[in-house]
Amino acid sequence: MDDTMAPVTRNQAPKISPFLEPGKTTKVGSLAILQLSRDNLQPVYLQAPSGKHDGYAEGAVVNTRYGSFPHSTMIGVPWGSQIRASKVDTGSRGRNNKRKRNKSDDDGKEGPAAIPEAKTEPESTPAEVIDDSSAATKKVVADVSGFIHILPPTPEVWTSSLPHRTQVVYTPDYSYVLHRIRARPGSVLIEAGAGSGSFTHASVRAVYNGYPTEAERKGKVYSFEFHEQRFHKMNKELKEHNLGGLVHLTHRDVYSGGFLIDGKSPEAEAIFLDLPAPWEALHHLSRRNPKNPGDKDWVSPLNPKRSAHICTFSPCIEQVTKTVSAMRRLGWVGIDMVEIVNRKYHTSRERVGLNLSMDRGVNNSARDVDEALARLTEIETRFREHAAKSKESDDEMDGDDDGGLIKMREKKELKGGKRRGGEKKVKVDHKPASPESFETPASGVPLWMEGRLITRGEPEIKTHTSYLVFATLPREWTDQDEAAAASRYPVVGEQKVIGVVDKAARKQERREQLQKATGNRKARRMERAAELAVTAEGTAPEVVP
Amino acid sequence: MHSLIRPNAWVGLKLPSGSTKVIQLVPDTTISLGKYGAFPANLVLGRPYHLTFEVLDKTPDESFSRLRVVPPSELHAEAIAEEDEAEGNAASATNGANQAVVTATEGEEFSLVDEKGNVVARSGREVIDDSAIQTLTQDEIEELKKEGNNAGKDVIAKLMLSHTALDQKTTFSLAKYKLLKTKKYIRRFQVVPIDVASFAQWQLEEKDASKIMDLRAEMFGLVGCWGNVHFGGEDSMMDDPHSRTDQGEETCVPVQPDELKGRWLVVDDTCGMLVAAMAERMGVLYPKEDDDEEPMVPEAKEEVKTAKPTQNSVAHENADVEMSDAVPETTVPERPKTTATNKKQKVRPKGSDFVVPLSQTNTLTVIHSTSQPNLSLLNYWNFDITAPNHPPHPLLNHLLNLTWLQLLKPELDTSYSTPPPTASAEELASWKPSRRGNFHRKRRRFARTRYIVDSTRAGNFSGLVSASSMDPISILKHTLPLLSGGAPVAIYSPSIEPLAALADCFSVPRRTAWTSGNVPETAGKSLEELERWEGNEQFPLNPTLLQGVSIQTSRARRWQVLPMRTHPLMTERGGADGYVFTAWRAKPAEGRVEARGKFKKIQPSSSRKAVRTEEDSTPAETPAATEEDDSATAAKRKRADTLPSLDTEGSSAPENVEAGDVASPTKKRKVDGEVEV
Ligand SMILES: C[S@@+](CC[C@H](N)C(=O)[O-])C[C@H]1O[C@@H](n2cnc3c(N)ncnc32)[C@H](O)[C@@H]1O
Repeated sequence: MDDTMAPVTRNQAPKISPFLEPGKTTKVGSLAILQLSRDNLQPVYLQAPSGKHDGYAEGAVVNTRYGSFPHSTMIGVPWGSQIRASKVDTGSRGRNNKRKRNKSDDDGKEGPAAIPEAKTEPESTPAEVIDDSSAATKKVVADVSGFIHILPPTPEVWTSSLPHRTQVVYTPDYSYVLHRIRARPGSVLIEAGAGSGSFTHASVRAVYNGYPTEAERKGKVYSFEFHEQRFHKMNKELKEHNLGGLVHLTHRDVYSGGFLIDGKSPEAEAIFLDLPAPWEALHHLSRRNPKNPGDKDWVSPLNPKRSAHICTFSPCIEQVTKTVSAMRRLGWVGIDMVEIVNRKYHTSRERVGLNLSMDRGVNNSARDVDEALARLTEIETRFREHAAKSKESDDEMDGDDDGGLIKMREKKELKGGKRRGGEKKVKVDHKPASPESFETPASGVPLWMEGRLITRGEPEIKTHTSYLVFATLPREWTDQDEAAAASRYPVVGEQKVIGVVDKAARKQERREQLQKATGNRKARRMERAAELAVTAEGTAPEVVP
Repeated sequence: MHSLIRPNAWVGLKLPSGSTKVIQLVPDTTISLGKYGAFPANLVLGRPYHLTFEVLDKTPDESFSRLRVVPPSELHAEAIAEEDEAEGNAASATNGANQAVVTATEGEEFSLVDEKGNVVARSGREVIDDSAIQTLTQDEIEELKKEGNNAGKDVIAKLMLSHTALDQKTTFSLAKYKLLKTKKYIRRFQVVPIDVASFAQWQLEEKDASKIMDLRAEMFGLVGCWGNVHFGGEDSMMDDPHSRTDQGEETCVPVQPDELKGRWLVVDDTCGMLVAAMAERMGVLYPKEDDDEEPMVPEAKEEVKTAKPTQNSVAHENADVEMSDAVPETTVPERPKTTATNKKQKVRPKGSDFVVPLSQTNTLTVIHSTSQPNLSLLNYWNFDITAPNHPPHPLLNHLLNLTWLQLLKPELDTSYSTPPPTASAEELASWKPSRRGNFHRKRRRFARTRYIVDSTRAGNFSGLVSASSMDPISILKHTLPLLSGGAPVAIYSPSIEPLAALADCFSVPRRTAWTSGNVPETAGKSLEELERWEGNEQFPLNPTLLQGVSIQTSRARRWQVLPMRTHPLMTERGGADGYVFTAWRAKPAEGRVEARGKFKKIQPSSSRKAVRTEEDSTPAETPAATEEDDSATAAKRKRADTLPSLDTEGSSAPENVEAGDVASPTKKRKVDGEVEV
C-alpha cells in the first residue's frame, strides 16, 4: 500500500510556495488567507475572473457576514491590504445556488473558500488586467460598509484556518517542538501521521533551504499517513501550496511499514510522531535492526552521520510511559518530557468611576475612597436638606419612621449617581458639536485613554494539549571509527589546561595575552576572547539537550 | 552540522550533577572537569556528539586519563531494571517469592544490580553520609577514587556493601555487579553541540539570564514562528560596479528594491542571542560543512595556533569576502597562510572598493542604539562582528547592521554622509602601503554603509522581530513603515506591561476614532503620509497599520518519567515569564472605511451613515473566538457588552446624547438580526 506521491516534474522549475515567498502582491491561483475578524481566518484560492461564476456576475465571490468580496477585488493587491466589500447582487442568483451559498457563508470552517475547482491560470494576473480579460465579468462596485484584510499564508494562519480532518498540532506546541528537535534549513524530517497537515506546514518552513535539485540534497519533510482519504486530501493541498517538492507524502502504516522510501533511507535527523502508539513505530527508527544488530540488509531511515532528535506527541500519560520505556531500550538518550501551556492575553481599559460616561463596560462605582467619600458627603447633605424641608411640610406624619427616610435616601443615591454623570455631560454639550462626540467624553480624556490599562487572560485556556517526549539518538560509533579518530587526534604530551584553573593563573595568562597583542583593536579582541573563555566556565543546574 | 566534534568547537559538557560546562575544545589541551576528572581534548575530537564518556583512571604507564563510551543500556540500566522489577514484583507477589530485593525509596541515589538487571541493593543518601561513611573515611574514598580501577564505582559499591547485610547473604563479587545512578562519584559527561537551544538554556539557567532578557526555549519558538523567520531565498550577491579609485559615490551600485527578498528586521538587546536564533532559522549561523567530513590532520593542527578557530573547517561558498573595515592586505593576517592566499586570489583581483559583500536575500538587519551593536554571544559561533579580516562565516554576507541614527537621520551620520576619498592610480602608487590600505578601507566602508542604510530605508521587510529593553511603541513607530504588507511582527518582552501598552495603541476605540475621520491631524494626509505618522499623545501609532494584535505566553512544564514515579517536577525556574506580541502589517484602504456590524443607526445623516462596531475591526481587547462557531458567536456577543457607547439606550439616558442629537435622541437598533446569530 505504498502509494507514494510522484516527485515534482524535473523539467519545470517549481514555483516557490506562497508559504515560503509570497511575493509583494496577491496572485491568481495563490492561496490567501482572509482575515474577517481577529480570530476568524478563512483560506481562499484566488481565481481569475472569467465571466459569470456560480451565478455571480462578478466572477468568484467570497460571502461573509462582513459583506461580499469578489476575487477580482483581491487580486494584484499588496498583501495585508484592507479590502472593501462590494455590492454583489446575491438576490438574482438562481435558487439552485442556494445551498452552496449557504455553505460558503458559514465562516469557512469547512475548508478553503468553498469555491469550486479553481481553473487556475498559469501566471499571475495583475489587477489592471481584470477588466479586459473578462468582458463578461461585471465591474464591481464598492459597498458602503464592510471590509476584510487579506494575509499571505503562513503556517500560523494556516493552522488556525485549515480544514480539520483530525486533531492538529497548534503553534505553541509545534514552535517549541521544532526548536527542540533542531529542525533547521537543510534538515530532513520524518513526520507521522500527517493528519490535517498543520505540523507539516510548520516543519517544511523550518527545514526549507531551497527546492531540491538532482545535484543537491536539501531540507525535506517525509510525511506518512495511513488513512487513505486524508492522504489524498493532503496530497492535493501540498500541490496547491507548491510544497510538493519539499514534502514527500507516503500512504503507509508506519507501525508495520517503517519509514524507508522505496527501500532507501530518507536519512532523517529530526522526527515527529503524532501517532496513537509511537512505541510501535520506534523500532524502525534505530541505527541497526534492534532485533538483530548484525543484520546487514536492514536499512536505517536515519542520517548515519548525525544525531537524531525525536519528539513524540501523546495526550495520555500511559502513552508516555510506554514511549519512554521503548526509547530507553532502543538507546535514546537525554529523554525529557514536558507539556506546553500557552495563554493569550487581552488588553482593555478598566473604567471605574462615578464621573465616567454611562457606557456599557464602565463600572459606575467609586474609583477610590476619596470619590466615595465625596459622594457620600454630598448625599448626606442633600438628605439632610430634604429631611429638614419635609419635616416642615409633613409634620403631621409623625410616627412615620426611619424606614421611609432610608428609602428616600436610597432613591436619592441612585438619582445622584445618574445626575452627577449627567451634569458633567451637560457641560460637554456646550462645546462645539463633533459629529461623533460620543468618542470624547466628559473628562476630556478620550475614551480610548480613559481608565486603567489592564490585561486579562482569554476566557478559556487550553490546559492540556499533549505530552511532548524528546530524546536524542547519537550516531553509531564503532571500534573502527574510534581507532580512526584516535589516530587522527593522538594525545600529545605537555598540555595547557582548559576548564578549572585557578584565578590567578588565568589573570596572568590574560595579561600576557594582552601584552603580546599589538595595536588597540587586537587587544580588544583578545580581551573579548578571554572574557568569553572566562564566562564559559561557570556551572549550575541542568541543561536539557 | 554537528556531526563530529571539530577542533576548537565550543561545546557543552553535561556533568552528572546536572550542570553543564561550556568550553572550547582546543586541540592538544587538557580539559578539566574538576572533581569529575580531567582528560585530553584530543580524546573527544573527531567523535560524535551526544555520546556519554566516562573518565577512566590513569593507568600506571600513562600520564592522562582515557575515556570510555558509556553505552545507553548502561545509562538507562537502573530505570530499565526498575521497570522490570515493577513487572517482576507484580509477578512475584502472586508467587509469594520475594528475593533479596531492597525496597525502593524516593531519595535513593545508588543501586546495585546483578548481570540480569535484578536490583541487589539500594542506598539512600543518608545511608552513605552517615552509617556507611563510618566504615570508609573520606580519605579512603578519595584514595579509592584515585586508584580504583573503575572510576569510583567500586567505592560506591563498597560503601553500599558496608551498610547492607548483603555480604552475609551473598558471596559478593564486584565484578558481577553493576552500579547505577551514581551521581556523586561517577565521572561521566556528555558532549552536546553549542546550538541555539542548548546554549540559550545554559545561558538562562546556569549563566546569566538577564543577558538574554530571560529568553526561554518557548519564546524562541514563538518569536521565530510568529515572526515567520525562515530561509529567505538563495543568495543574490551585490554586483561589483568596478569603480576606479578615482571614482566616487556616484559609481556605487544603487539599491535594487526588486532584488531584496527574505529580509528580517531585528532589534536585539540580548547580546546577539536573538540574532543567533534567527540566523539559525535562516540557515546562516553554522558554516556549511562538507557533509561533516573532517579536515585532514595537518590542517587541524595548524588551527591550534590561530586566534580564531574553525577557519579551516568552514568552507562557505561566499566566504571569500570581507568586512568593510578589513585591515589592509599589507598587515599580516593572524591566520594560516593557506586561507589568506586563497582569499587574495579569489577576491582581490576583481573586487573593486565599492563591491558590497552582502546578499540581497535571506538577510538580517540589526538596528542598534549604540554605535556598535552588542552581539558578543555570536562569538560562540565563531563570529565576531568587530573583527577585521574575519575568516569565512555565513553571517558575513547575511548580517547587516545600522544605528537608529543611520536609519532615521542618515545625514547626521559621518560614515554615511562623508563622501569616499578618491585618488588616481598614480597617486595611490606613490603612497605608503598603510596609507593605501586606509584609503581602500574608507571607500569600502562607505559603500557598505551607503548600501545598508539605503536598502533598509527602502523597506519591504519580510518581518520584524524584537527583544529589546526599549519601548516597543518607539520601535514600531519607525519600523512599521519599513514592513511589507502582511509582514509579521513578533516582539518579545520579559514582562507584559510594555506589550500591553503597545496593544492598547491598536485598541478598538482608538481605531474607531481614527477611521471615523475625527483626528484633525490626519485630515488631508495621504496613506503614505499616514504610514509615517509621527505619533501624538492620543495616537502614538497609526492604529490601522497592524492587524490581529495578540499577546501570549507559553510555559513548558517538565516531568519526571520513571516507573511508578511519574510526576511534574517540584520546582522550576521562576523569574520573568516572557510574553510575545504578534500582529501583521496591514495596508489600510484609502479613505473612510465603514465597518459592517450588528448595529446601525436608524437615521442616516450626512456625517454618519453607520456606526462602526467592534465586529469588524480586530481589536486587542476582544476575547479570542474559539474554534467552535457557537462560542465564537458567544464571545462576540459578550464583546458587544463591553463596547462603549454603541448600544446605549438613548431614551433612558438623555444626558448622554451628543450635542447635535439632543432634539432627536440617537436610537440604535439591530438592523440585520441575521448577522447576530
Ligand atoms: C492526530 S493526527 C496528526 C495531526 C497532525 N500532526 C497535524 O498537525 O495535523 C494522527 C494521524 O496519524 C494517522 N495515523 C495513525 N496511525 C498511523 C500509522 N500507524 N501509520 C500512519 N499514520 C497513522 C492518523 O490517520 C491521523 O491522521
